Amino acid sequence: MDPIKIIIDGKEVTTVKGKTVIQAAAEVGVAIPHYCYHPKLSIAGNCRMCLVEIEKMPKLQIACNTQVAEGMNVLTQSPKVLAVRKAVLEFLLINHPVDCPICDQAGECWLQDYYMQHDRQESRFEVGKVHDRKRTIFGPHVVFDGERCIKCTRCVRFCQEITETGELAVVNRTDHSTIDLFPGATLDNPLSANVVDICPVGALTDRDFRFKVRVWYLQKTPSICPGCSTGCNISVETYQNRIARFKPRVNEAVNSHWLCDEGRYCFHDLAAGERLTTPMIRQEGGLVATTWEVALQAVVSGLASAKPSAGILSGRNTNEEAYLFAKLIRKISAEHALEVVYQERELTPVQKILMSPDRSPNFRGARDMGVSSNGGYEALLSKLVAGNFSGAYIVGEDVAATAQEPEKVRAALAKLAFLVVQDTRMTETAQLAHVVLPSTHFGEKDGTYTNRNGRVQKLNAAVIPPEGALQDSEIFAQLLGLAGEQDGYANPKEIFRSLAREIVSYQGLNFDSIGDQGIEVGAVVAGHHDR
Amino acid sequence: MEKILLRNIGTPESHTLAVYRSRGGYASWQKVAGNMKPEQLIEEVKASGLRGRGGAGFPTGMKWGFVPKDNPKPKYLVCNADESEPGTFKDRLLIEQDPHAIIEGTLIAAYAIQSHTAFIYIRGELAFGANRLDLAVEEAYQAGFIGKNIFGSGYDLELIVHRGAGAYICGEETALLSSLEGWRGWPKVKPPFPATHGLFGCPTVVNNVETLAALPWILDRGAAAYAGFGTEKSKGTKLFSVSGHVARPGVYELEMGYPLKKFLEEDCGGVPNGKKLKGVIPGGGSMPVLRPEEIEKVNLDYESVQAAGSLLGSGGIIVMDETTCMVQAAWNLARFFAHESCGQCSPCREGCHWMEKIFHKIEHGEGDKSDLDLILNISGNIMGNTICPFGDAAAMPAAAFIKKFRDEFEAHVAEKRCTVKSELA
Repeated sequence: MDPIKIIIDGKEVTTVKGKTVIQAAAEVGVAIPHYCYHPKLSIAGNCRMCLVEIEKMPKLQIACNTQVAEGMNVLTQSPKVLAVRKAVLEFLLINHPVDCPICDQAGECWLQDYYMQHDRQESRFEVGKVHDRKRTIFGPHVVFDGERCIKCTRCVRFCQEITETGELAVVNRTDHSTIDLFPGATLDNPLSANVVDICPVGALTDRDFRFKVRVWYLQKTPSICPGCSTGCNISVETYQNRIARFKPRVNEAVNSHWLCDEGRYCFHDLAAGERLTTPMIRQEGGLVATTWEVALQAVVSGLASAKPSAGILSGRNTNEEAYLFAKLIRKISAEHALEVVYQERELTPVQKILMSPDRSPNFRGARDMGVSSNGGYEALLSKLVAGNFSGAYIVGEDVAATAQEPEKVRAALAKLAFLVVQDTRMTETAQLAHVVLPSTHFGEKDGTYTNRNGRVQKLNAAVIPPEGALQDSEIFAQLLGLAGEQDGYANPKEIFRSLAREIVSYQGLNFDSIGDQGIEVGAVVAGHHDR
Repeated sequence: MEKILLRNIGTPESHTLAVYRSRGGYASWQKVAGNMKPEQLIEEVKASGLRGRGGAGFPTGMKWGFVPKDNPKPKYLVCNADESEPGTFKDRLLIEQDPHAIIEGTLIAAYAIQSHTAFIYIRGELAFGANRLDLAVEEAYQAGFIGKNIFGSGYDLELIVHRGAGAYICGEETALLSSLEGWRGWPKVKPPFPATHGLFGCPTVVNNVETLAALPWILDRGAAAYAGFGTEKSKGTKLFSVSGHVARPGVYELEMGYPLKKFLEEDCGGVPNGKKLKGVIPGGGSMPVLRPEEIEKVNLDYESVQAAGSLLGSGGIIVMDETTCMVQAAWNLARFFAHESCGQCSPCREGCHWMEKIFHKIEHGEGDKSDLDLILNISGNIMGNTICPFGDAAAMPAAAFIKKFRDEFEAHVAEKRCTVKSELA
C-alpha cells in the first residue's frame, strides 16, 4: 500500500492508493453524504448525493467511485457541491409522500437528516406525485413502501452480493422504477431483515418492530446476540424496560454489518412469559413460595447429599456465571459431572454466512471456565436417562422440553432425589424441581461471552430484572458463601478479575479493556494486565 | 462526391453476399485477416481520422488503442446497432440495405483488438433489419469470412446478432453491455471504462454501425483517401438523416464540413409550401435546437456545430417550419426522455418526468411564468450530474427550446393557448 497525500477541504490528508474519496474522507472524520454507497456492497453510484468537486476535473465526481490520487484536491463544501446536494435531495423528495408522522423510519431517516443539513427549501413540485405500492409484504420480516423508496438499490445488491439469493430487482423505468420481488420469490432468506437496516429511508421496514415505538424513545445498549455462538455484535434497543428490537453493531472481526433473522428476533422467546419472582420449594402437594434463605440452604444441603450430581448450565450464561457455577458444583458436590448445553443442527449455505450450528452463545466460554467433564452435553443427558445421577442443578435451560428424547429426560428428572432449577420462568423442567430459583435472562446482565472463535465480548444489561429475581452470578456467589467460600464476587467485573487470574487462557484480560469490539483469548496486549 | 457509406445503396439486391462481393465486398477483410498486424491496422484507422458516428465523435483508432494487449481475458467487439435517437435513421438504412458492409467492418474492428467473439446489438424494433443481418451473417459464415481459421490465417472469430428489447438507453454503450450480459439495460458507473472492463468484465470496444461500415472502404482505398474528405478535425463523410419540414427528407451522405444551410435549401429542397424556417435540431433529438439565424454559417462537422451552440451528434437533422409550436415540440421531446430514462440515478429518474409534466402543463394552457425558469433550473440540476449522457440529452433540448423560443413559451403561458398558426389547428 503506497501512502499518498490528498487535500480534503484544505486539509492535507495521508491515505493509501486504492481508497476512494468517500473512504479517505471518512477516515479523517469528513462525512460525505450518501445513500447508495455502502462499504460492504458494490459501488452503484446512482444516488448522486456524494458528488464532490475535484480540482482540475470539469464535472463534479461521485466520491464513492473516485479513487484517490496523489495531490488530489477535494472540496466537499464548495458552493457547487452544496448546490448539487440540495438539487439531488429535491429530486429524491419530489415524488416522496413526505409522510414522516406515520413513517416508522422517522427519526433515523437519511432523507430527514440530509434535508435538515443540506436542503431546507420549500417544495417547488406542483405537478402531481407518482404513486406506487404501499404496505407490500416482501417476506416474513420485511414490508415495502414503494413511494418512500429512493431506488438506491442497497437491498437489491444485498440479496445479490451478500446472501446471493437474488429475491429483489428493480422493475420499470424512469420515475416509475420500483423495487420488486422476482415472480414467485419471497424475501425469506435467513438474513432478510438486514435490508431493513441498510435501507436509508422508510421504504423497507421491520414487520416485527414497526409501529411499536418511535425510535427516539429507544435506549440503546451495546451487547452480544444470544442466538448462537457466532457472537454477533448487537445493539439491544429497549423502551419502558422491554426489548423492542435488536440491531447489528459493526464488528468486522465477527459479523461485519449483519445480523441473522433468527438472532434478530430471538429475544421474543427468551424474554417472553410470566417471570418467576420468588424462590420455590417442593412440599407435599407441590412447589410453594419460600424465602431465598430457605431455598439456598436447601440447595446446599440437597446437592451435598445427592451423589453423584449433574450440573447443567445454559449456553446463554456468561463466563462469570460459568466460572462461579463450576466452582460451586465442585465445592458442594463431591461426585459430579458438569456440562454446558450444546446441540448442533444442519445449516444451509446462506445460514452459514453468519450462523453457528448451535444455540449456545457461550458454550466455548463455559467450557473454558470448567463447565465441562469431557463427555459433552449429550453424553451427560444419556447418563442422566440411564439413572447415573441422584441429583442435578439445571440453570437457564428447559432441558425436559428441548432434549432430543424429552419423555425419557423428563422421567429421569422426576426420579432424581434432588433437583434444583434456576430459571426465569416456570418451565417443564422447573415443575419437576425440588427447589426453583428465579433468575435473569441475557438482556438483564452484565458479563462476557466467548464466541466460537475465542473472542471474549461484553454483554451489557439493557433492562432491569423484575423484583424478586436475582442475577445468576449473585445466586452462585451466595451459595458459595453458604458453602464456606467468602471471596469477592460482588459483580461481574470482580468475578472476571478472579477468573482472569485462574483460567490460563484468560490471563491478562481485563473486563474494562474488552470494550465494545471484544478481544481474542490469548491476544493480550501489554498494558492490559490488571493484578 | 464519391459515396463511401452509401456506395452500395440503390443497387438491386444490395443486401446479398453475391451483390456485395461483386462490388468488391470482403476484399478489405481478406487484406486484413492474416496479412496485417493489428497495430498496423489501428495505425491505418488512426491516420484516416475516422471518428465514432454514434454521436460522441471519439477517434476510432484511438478507442481501439485503449484495449490492453497484455490482458489475459477475452476481448469483445460490439457493433452498436441500437439506433434510437429521435430523428435518426441512417444506421437502419445500412442494416437493411447493406448488412455485409457492417459485418465486414465489424470483422475488421474485431481483428484490430484481436477479439474472437463479436456481437451486433440491434434495436429490437428493427425486426426486418435483424432478419437481414441474420441472413447476411449466415452467408458470411458459409463463405468462410467468419468462423474458425478465416482465410487459413489461424484467426478465429464468432459473430452473434443480438436483438435489444426496446429501451432507448441501450444505445448508450455501457447500458448496451449490461443488456447484452442479460441484465437490466442500465448504464455502468465509470470508471472503469469498457476498454478495460466491458462486456462480462472483459476488454471491449463498442463501435457504431456507421463507423464500422466505413472501414471496408478505408482499408480498400487507404487512410489518406478517406482523410482527403472533410475538414481538418472532422475527416471523411457522414450520413445525415433529415426529417421534418423539408421537400426531400431522407438519408444523405455528405462530406464533413458541408454547409448546413446550403444542404437544407439545395440538397433537401428547402422548406416546402413557401413556409419560413423556424428551427433546426442538427444532431438528433437530444441536441439543442438552433434558430434560423444560428445556422447561417454552420458547417456539418463536429467543431462547427459545437461552435454554434449545439452538437453534431448522430446527424439526425430535424427541420421545423413556422407552423411548428415550439412548446409542443419541446413537450414531445421531453415526453420521450421522461419515458426512456432508465431510472437508475436520481437526477435523471426524477427530473426528466418533472420537466415533462411542466411542459405538459404549459402546452395545455395551465402554465405559470415561473415554470420557464423552473425548467431551466431543473435541467441545470440534471446536466453533468448523472451516470451517463442521457441526463444531458434530456436537459439540453429542454433548456434550448426555452432559451431560444422564450417569447413563444411566454405567449403560451399568458394566453393559455397556442399562438402558433399550425396547419393542423
